[in-house]
Amino acid sequence: MYFYKLPGENLMSFHRIKAIFLHELNITRHSYEVFNDLLLYPLFNVIVFGFMTLYLANATGKIVANQVLAGMILWQMINITQYSIAVGCLWDVWSRNLTNIFITPITVTEYLFSYAVTGTVKAIIVIGLSCVLAYFVFHLNIFSVGLIPLFFICLNLIMFGFSFGVVILGLIFRFGTRIQAFAWGLLNVAQPLMAVFYPVSVLPEPLRSISYLFAPTYAFEALRKAMRGEPIFIDILYSFTFNFIFLLGAIIFFQRMFKKSKETGQFARLEG
Amino acid sequence: MDILRVEKLTKRFGTGKNEFVAVDNVSFSVKEGEVVGFLGPNGAGKTTTIQMLLGITTPTSGTIHYFDKDFFKDPQYCLSRINFTSAFNTLQGRVTVWENLVVFAHLYHVENPLPKIKKLVERFEMNDLIHKRYWDLSTGQRTRANFIKALLNDPKIILMDEPTASLDPDIADKTLTFIEELRHEHKITILYTSHNMAEVTRICDRVIFLDKGKIVAQDTPLGLTKRIQVAQLRLTFNENKGTVETYLKNERLTYRFDGEHVVYITTEETSLPKIIFGLSKLGIWMTDIEVKKPTLEHVFLQIARGEPYVFS
Repeated sequence: MYFYKLPGENLMSFHRIKAIFLHELNITRHSYEVFNDLLLYPLFNVIVFGFMTLYLANATGKIVANQVLAGMILWQMINITQYSIAVGCLWDVWSRNLTNIFITPITVTEYLFSYAVTGTVKAIIVIGLSCVLAYFVFHLNIFSVGLIPLFFICLNLIMFGFSFGVVILGLIFRFGTRIQAFAWGLLNVAQPLMAVFYPVSVLPEPLRSISYLFAPTYAFEALRKAMRGEPIFIDILYSFTFNFIFLLGAIIFFQRMFKKSKETGQFARLEG
Repeated sequence: MDILRVEKLTKRFGTGKNEFVAVDNVSFSVKEGEVVGFLGPNGAGKTTTIQMLLGITTPTSGTIHYFDKDFFKDPQYCLSRINFTSAFNTLQGRVTVWENLVVFAHLYHVENPLPKIKKLVERFEMNDLIHKRYWDLSTGQRTRANFIKALLNDPKIILMDEPTASLDPDIADKTLTFIEELRHEHKITILYTSHNMAEVTRICDRVIFLDKGKIVAQDTPLGLTKRIQVAQLRLTFNENKGTVETYLKNERLTYRFDGEHVVYITTEETSLPKIIFGLSKLGIWMTDIEVKKPTLEHVFLQIARGEPYVFS
């Protein structure tokens, strides 16, 4: 079965997308590290933030406390999607298997699309479990913001996580595994600017302007507004706008990095 | 029919003062069913050429055609019909051999992948190993798993980059036997790089020598060894060293004595019978005659050192 096609590429193949999906599933099943990074740590974070929420609820009120916990849960959307793309590729670099994959007829679009799908599936599973935990232990019903607002907020966060992962992947392809720590760390550097746990108004003025360049800022603002029962249409619109710009930029950036990597021979040297 | 045709392939790395040419205007072709050895000293440009043939490094200029299709215009068509195996690339170590093979079967869009994998697993006698993690296999077992991966898509050509590197002689020999059987069973075309000249002589129909990015020789293994005209004769005789030495001097031969009863004579291969006959006529009693003929290794050394090979 073939579907979507980009200029210069043949039709995307369902078989090849399924292959990467299976590959990711196999690695996840056999790797305790992935289990830790994608399931255990996020759930522990929910527990830690949950207790903090109980403590904060007394001082700030339940709404603010719940906003912090909801921010924490939805942050995992970005984290897991970008981790899935960037670290997913690294498993094959470390195993010296990346060349084997890229000498099959798989296209870059299929490769990235597959990781977008697997990242989304993983994110949905982890967020689902986090929501269950938050509901039964800390009495936070994240679905109370409404299914449609929640869907659009999550979609924006996944889009950003995917774009961020693609940028990291481009950097790894171009500069090699010496910058592999970006796959875990770089997103956390940007986290304070994305108003995950607090409103943008908390940030000092120069940082506020930078914060508004990130699509998740609008998504998290929308989450807080939705929890207060306010309309979020404008925030979601801004979030989509910045996400489309960032996604387009990320794909162009990745294509350039990948092309340069093959020109300089770095791609072939990735596996050492 | 040419399965692979490479024309004026060039790869330059770096710019300005740091620029160097890894592959310099290389042209060659590989016919259907041929096994072609791709040889050269370290840094000759073999690996860079292979990387370009696989599409993981972009050439600076030149063309690559598989099955008369431009590789850069239709990479997916070509990549679905070629495959690669190397001692330096492994499958995903964390997952089982079976899981790896299923993934690659899907990547190559193999029709009925499971029976195909089972058949190859049986062929390579890996039935008991397929549910082991790839990392838990021995080097020889990994090589077999790599070969199964390389055969999944019924490739028309397989590029093999030192497939026997780091294997013990027994496993290396078995691997070569596999390759020979593959060739006869599937009529597969193979481009084979190795530093082991005996291997290349054993399995290759033709050899391409690369040095400093250029093709410096291209012939059958026998044709290449014939380029070194000299051979070495090791004679063990009972007595009369003086008579032997006088004869060799008169014949203006290059020789070296090793003790009182052994002499090494370096000469053209065609002169060997004449020397043995001449010494016999003088009444020299030869107890052992050993002829050391040039091998592909000597050709390799001659090319790598850039000077005529001299028997030591």
